[in-house]
Amino acid sequence: MALLAPIICDNGTGYSKVGFAGNSDPSFVFPTAIATRGSASQTSRAPAVPVKPGHLASKRGVEDLDFFIGDEALANAKTPGYGVHYPIRHGMIDNWDHMERYWEQTIFKYLRAEPEDHYFLLTEPPLNPPENREQTAEIFFESFNIKGLYIAVQAVLALAASWSSNRVTDRTLTGTVIDSGDGVTHVIPCAEGYVIGSAIKHIPIAGRDISQFVLNLMRERGEMAAVPPEDQLRVASRVKENYSYVCQDIVREFRKYDEEPLKYFERYEGEHSVTGRKYGVDVGYERFLAPEIFFNPEIYSSDFLTPLPEIVDDVIQQSPIDVRRGLYKNIVLSGGSTMFQHFGQRLKRDLKQLVDRRLDASVMASGGALKSSGVEVDVISHKRQRYAVWFGGSLLASLPEFYTSCHTKAQYDEIGPSICRRYQIFGSAT
Amino acid sequence: MILLEPHNVIIQTTLSEKLIKPSSLDVQFVDYDGVRFHLTTPERKTSLLLSMHIRCWDELVRYGAMDVLKREYGALLAAQAEPEYNVSLEIDLEQVPADPGARDDFVMSIALFKRNALAAPFELAFKTQKELEASGAGRGELMQIHYRDEEAIYVQAAHDRVTVIFSTVFQEETDRIFGRVFLQEFVDARRSPSINAPQVLYSNRDPPLEIRDVPGLRNTEDIGYVTFVVSPRHFTNPERASATISHIQLFRDYLHYHIKCSKAYMHSRMRHRVTEFQKILNRAKTEVATVERKTASGRTMTSR
Amino acid sequence: MSNVLRPYLAAVRSTLTAALTLENFSSQVVERHNKPEVETGTSKEVLLNPLTISRNENERVLIESSVNSIRLSIKIKQADEIERILCHKFTRFMMQRAESFIVLRRKPVQGYDISFLITNTHTETMLKHKIVDFIIQFMEEVDKEISEMKLSLNARARIVAESYLTAFNA
Repeated sequence: MALLAPIICDNGTGYSKVGFAGNSDPSFVFPTAIATRGSASQTSRAPAVPVKPGHLASKRGVEDLDFFIGDEALANAKTPGYGVHYPIRHGMIDNWDHMERYWEQTIFKYLRAEPEDHYFLLTEPPLNPPENREQTAEIFFESFNIKGLYIAVQAVLALAASWSSNRVTDRTLTGTVIDSGDGVTHVIPCAEGYVIGSAIKHIPIAGRDISQFVLNLMRERGEMAAVPPEDQLRVASRVKENYSYVCQDIVREFRKYDEEPLKYFERYEGEHSVTGRKYGVDVGYERFLAPEIFFNPEIYSSDFLTPLPEIVDDVIQQSPIDVRRGLYKNIVLSGGSTMFQHFGQRLKRDLKQLVDRRLDASVMASGGALKSSGVEVDVISHKRQRYAVWFGGSLLASLPEFYTSCHTKAQYDEIGPSICRRYQIFGSAT
Repeated sequence: MILLEPHNVIIQTTLSEKLIKPSSLDVQFVDYDGVRFHLTTPERKTSLLLSMHIRCWDELVRYGAMDVLKREYGALLAAQAEPEYNVSLEIDLEQVPADPGARDDFVMSIALFKRNALAAPFELAFKTQKELEASGAGRGELMQIHYRDEEAIYVQAAHDRVTVIFSTVFQEETDRIFGRVFLQEFVDARRSPSINAPQVLYSNRDPPLEIRDVPGLRNTEDIGYVTFVVSPRHFTNPERASATISHIQLFRDYLHYHIKCSKAYMHSRMRHRVTEFQKILNRAKTEVATVERKTASGRTMTSR
Repeated sequence: MSNVLRPYLAAVRSTLTAALTLENFSSQVVERHNKPEVETGTSKEVLLNPLTISRNENERVLIESSVNSIRLSIKIKQADEIERILCHKFTRFMMQRAESFIVLRRKPVQGYDISFLITNTHTETMLKHKIVDFIIQFMEEVDKEISEMKLSLNARARIVAESYLTAFNA
């Protein structure tokens, strides 16, 4: 009997992506939220939470089975007696009790897999403390008796996901990952599968900010007057997802729009979520201005002013000199907020200008005596960008080496959770 | 969530999505007990091919799985199963009823694919029992379903009952001990008068009489046998019978699910207790005035 | 329960308090080393006689003392295999987090379930009687916790079995 496909579980701060290796998309994407009995404000560390009567809670002793996860958790947020918790904060697991139960239901209710029959690939953020891996291993091996476990760094999986792009010829795990989700954007340099922790940089601009910015712009133009207030943010994020793109030159783009508004303006038709009343808004400049806040943050925020290309350049300049060429050559995008059209091209152009300017300056400084052979800058966009981390995991877990790189149950029983401190990379051709 | 559901959530959600918006796809996924599924759109976006691989397919066919599936799915059943899989369904999204209620029923019936395949031996046993009841005595064939590598279900009909025996193997010491506690409670809980359930017997190590003659049974400490004696009142009418089948099929998964939940619960208890102990120990620490340390450039040194 | 246990715990408490007379002591064998002598065991003359306080054959405490450190090992009551596995799980869970329990040893001494190592540094930086309190409280609660866990396991099993069987009624 063939081995059953490994399970890939990418638990992010906002959303969890879970599914089976070998597929190109996760089977489930739902919020990393858990609704349990007891109010949300109360930190229910104690397992003996006082319970209110209910069909399940009335059975004393199994109160801990009375909870919902994912979309169901949010749907039950209003149910009296339930409180919604987010067990992951800033990419790291904050509440292990909730997380353990979250995994429990993911496996048994949604994936319908017997964990004893499967290998698991989990993801962790860069700079995750090793104690967290140990606790994760403890849960997966002791509670769920899984066959084997591999914990991979998200950035490395995003690099692996870029192998699916036909522009990538060699399977390298050296590169810079730009991971932009809903809450925060990271720029993470990796050298041969290992994260260069000291050079990581975070940008406080991500999906949520872009939606907010679109909303502001549309309010200023008076478009949002037709939209009921509770739907406005949703409309803004819809507009962002469906109509936005990155332009190469703002001034020219503005002129284009002003000359032929009919050609470039789009119409968004919506429906009120409760009353079903129809409304429509004109979508204009926000189409190209929305992603522009990555490149000109001053148009949105007053306290964060460094453009993304500059941050990427800084990150690479802070990395060891012998990997910098590799980092410039392989800049990989991951996460929903990098999905804008032409995002990669614009980033590449701006970054290339920065690099060339520096090279020219050093040629000048040496008085023309030293000539640089030039630095290759390339940004890789691919089709799987949105769930790149998950897809990278799916790709790696379908390689035959995956099984030999895993920590197995036997090893865990022999050595204990500390085996997960060691982390073996595999899959790269070098 | 106490009880497990009989249908497959992935099939359900994927089909419902594709009914609204057809697109090409190719996914593989699993269900309990090593069942593998493959859902593809081989030709058009609106024609789906759902294939299933079950470990004990040959045995199921012998006990009439094909007939059950033909009854449930009719023309959907593909004449030729996809290579590497045992059985396939061809679903044409354009032929699905448009009425929302009927549509949900259709999706649910597809999601019960595995349940229906595995229902065959039980249905056969229920039928045999009816026949034997008329004649008043005798026993039906002992049906063996090796649904996992080391575990099997045995089903046998008699004139007044149907016996279902699960052999259970626990991989790990903790599971074995927890499992024994659980199984003992199954036996005891049955005795409480309010419960009108099949009689449950549990024996460790020694196989029950019905299957003692089966060759190849292991006789080690880690194996146990759970016997359900299903009496005719549990399958008086078709709905009742089908509910009983859905329920009894999931016995092993249910047991293992709850063993794991208990371990998770123990973990959260222990986490709580350890933090309590931590607090007690912290009381022993003397207050040391921590002086803020600064670097030369005036930055504070703090550990995160 | 606690009344029955009290003399046992009182004996451990007074012995432990008496044993916790530690002083800074550099190694006599290796220059510039200062190691817990009870662990290294390289100089016999600084080791004191080990002492066992035993309530019955299943519950006992071993106190090994030396000039700069003592080691206290506890054998926890385990009546049946459920308690045995729960006790094993619990102590391992705790020892996994030993770095935050400053006085906890990562591995128990052979024949015992959990061990503590208290050195002169600990008695100097922490309140001695509070350390003793902690050990005693641990001993008191660990029994309670294990029997509670066992009870809750049984209760759960009962509910689980009943829920499964009542579903046949539907």
